[in-house]
Amino acid sequence: MSDDVTRVVPGRAQVRLGTTTAAVRTRRRTRGRATALLYILPAAAVYLGFAIWPALNTAYLSFVEWDGISPSTWVGLENYRTIFTSPTLGPALWHGLVLIIFFAIIPCAFGLFLTALLQGGNRRGMTAFRVIYFLPQVLPLVAVGITWRWLYSSDGLINQGLDLVGLDGITRAWLGDYDYALIALGLIGTWAMTGLCMVLFLAGAQKIDVSLYEAVALDGGGSIRKFFTVTLPALRGEITIASVITTIAALASFDLVFVTTNGGPANQTTVPGLLVYRLAFNEGNIGAASALAVLLTLMVLTVITLIRLLAREKA
Amino acid sequence: MKSSSRTFRAMIPVSVAALVVLAGCAGGGSSDSDKPNDVSTKVTSKPVTLNLAYTDDPPTNALIDAFRKKHPNITIKAQQTPFSDYVKSIKLSMASSTPPDIAEYNPGAMRALVPAGLIYDLEPYAKAYSWNDSFPASSLEVLSSDKKAKEYGTGGLYAVPGALSVLGVYYNKDLVSKAGISETPATLADFEADLKKVKDSGTTPFSLGGLQVGGFQLWNALTNSLGDVTQYRDWVYGKSGSSIETAGAKEAAQKVSDWVKAGYVPQSANATADSDAQADFVNGKSAYLITGNWAASAIQKEMGDDVGFFLFPQKTADADKIASGASVAFSISSKTKHPNEAAAFLDFMSSPEAAKVQVESGFMPVDTETAVETSGVLADISGAFKSVVEDNGIVPFPDFAAPDMIDKLTAGVQGLLSDKTTAPDYLASLQESWNSFHE
Repeated sequence: MSDDVTRVVPGRAQVRLGTTTAAVRTRRRTRGRATALLYILPAAAVYLGFAIWPALNTAYLSFVEWDGISPSTWVGLENYRTIFTSPTLGPALWHGLVLIIFFAIIPCAFGLFLTALLQGGNRRGMTAFRVIYFLPQVLPLVAVGITWRWLYSSDGLINQGLDLVGLDGITRAWLGDYDYALIALGLIGTWAMTGLCMVLFLAGAQKIDVSLYEAVALDGGGSIRKFFTVTLPALRGEITIASVITTIAALASFDLVFVTTNGGPANQTTVPGLLVYRLAFNEGNIGAASALAVLLTLMVLTVITLIRLLAREKA
Repeated sequence: MKSSSRTFRAMIPVSVAALVVLAGCAGGGSSDSDKPNDVSTKVTSKPVTLNLAYTDDPPTNALIDAFRKKHPNITIKAQQTPFSDYVKSIKLSMASSTPPDIAEYNPGAMRALVPAGLIYDLEPYAKAYSWNDSFPASSLEVLSSDKKAKEYGTGGLYAVPGALSVLGVYYNKDLVSKAGISETPATLADFEADLKKVKDSGTTPFSLGGLQVGGFQLWNALTNSLGDVTQYRDWVYGKSGSSIETAGAKEAAQKVSDWVKAGYVPQSANATADSDAQADFVNGKSAYLITGNWAASAIQKEMGDDVGFFLFPQKTADADKIASGASVAFSISSKTKHPNEAAAFLDFMSSPEAAKVQVESGFMPVDTETAVETSGVLADISGAFKSVVEDNGIVPFPDFAAPDMIDKLTAGVQGLLSDKTTAPDYLASLQESWNSFHE
């Protein structure tokens, strides 16, 4: 290795440049490739060691029965059978899909709406708006979850507000309500994700050529026309990115659910990530936990591919 | 959200990979190594250092200090791990080539450590020190298990308790007397009459942490009162053929639903964490709170003399007292070089000196004969605890019954509280989890 390094000292390479023959050129190309690989090596090693290898190892573990200490035994697809026949999986997957509405669809729509309001010239207080809407992204979700648990509690701020406007008939401990807990949880996600979408879209909207808006204005189009004719098509790339990020957050959600409802009440808000945690750390069933993690990864990849295909077809 | 949940998912395989390596080093305990050799109650006079892994403090550090006074040559180096990580970390470190000599017992971790032969069966020491006389029988029973760690209350002894706990009812003296109640209830029927009086006086009777363990502890207390204690114990211990689908447990589950409908338990219970329920009780928002002695010092600090404690009442006044309880217990690694000194630390737990530490740190003493001066609610609790131990009525908590039982209990009681799950369905879900682990 160190030998390679000395050979590619720029000075020496330049000297050889004058006497280039085909053979030397090939050798140099090989050497160049080796150099390139050498540069990639540190990053690749970290990536292989901390992303690829654990992922492959998880896939391997999904085929064994293991409690974390005793020797593991190969069980083939048994863990997957356990997962698929478990009555808790179906509802958890369903909750994950419902959360896509609150984590991805509503924030993207709302983010676009805010972009339409805020873009176009330097409105006063632009930075303030950006900071305020982006703030939820900066806060750790565990702290966010605990705060929202208080906001949603039976005498929390939200119910106080409802009381104030005469809606005291519908107040309840939202996160503890059998029918509304998942929606209440989803709205926390909406709150957290909207700012991210908005900042992405605003950044995208800044690179739109102003003359396009002028053209619409000359044709007599108002701001709604401008938004649908110019802004929306120009933001396709940003919308795809935002959808992918927020959809992953919905499907792979864990921390927010863990601190607000822990899957309750009566398993109404369980998500796949929570089940992985329970299987691995409560039940010591590493094999089944890995199988579910693999399944979850496949599901996330499928949904992301779908989103990207959809975005491409529209182009 | 994205990054943290991703990190989380990535972390499982990483720690799992670490486990593979460590498990490989451990090489598994052979069946001869899980009982100590050269058992003696004599400890060395040379300087010895023992390592101890624990999560609960108090009482651990105070106990170590007290032990040190008795054996100045034995240094105990303690390493604390937060509870949420303890189960994982203790499994790893006990399986490593240099495990701590003493480890705080944890039922979840021991289900893997006992079959792997990584902690000692303490039976020889129990004989040498006659622990069966110095520790309450029920407190040792729950720490013994068969070799597969599937059935408790039988087989070898894998830990001894360093401090005990008991579940009961705290009450706000002021609110209760305002409701016209002058004495603590002697029977469950009396208690229900009191709950009605409190409700009629305009106070919510209970604060309940249905989001976490508070919910199923209510059901647990009711089951201890209405059900058969032997059936319940056998079920938690995993004795073959046991069932929780009993008349008493069903009646208890039904009462949880009924108490919500009667307004004794607030509708918001399912969204209330245990700490929030305790805060509500301390702030005078409710008259009763069901929890253990571990909350005593915090509650007394806030409420002073305005709080009392009684055991959840039985059906009849003269029935044996039954209450759930657990312990902070300690196990010895089967790889320790100083088993006799480690055992001396365990034996110390039943001493009068330890009793003083246990009571002062808000726990129940192992040696119930030692009179330790307490006042206020702590005195109520020790009196109550003593009467349960005399009736041999300490029973384990129900989440002990199977690894995923705590999730079934929490979710099931949440269903009862929101009136979406029936009592038979709830018990069936518990039994299903029990069957899949034990049968």
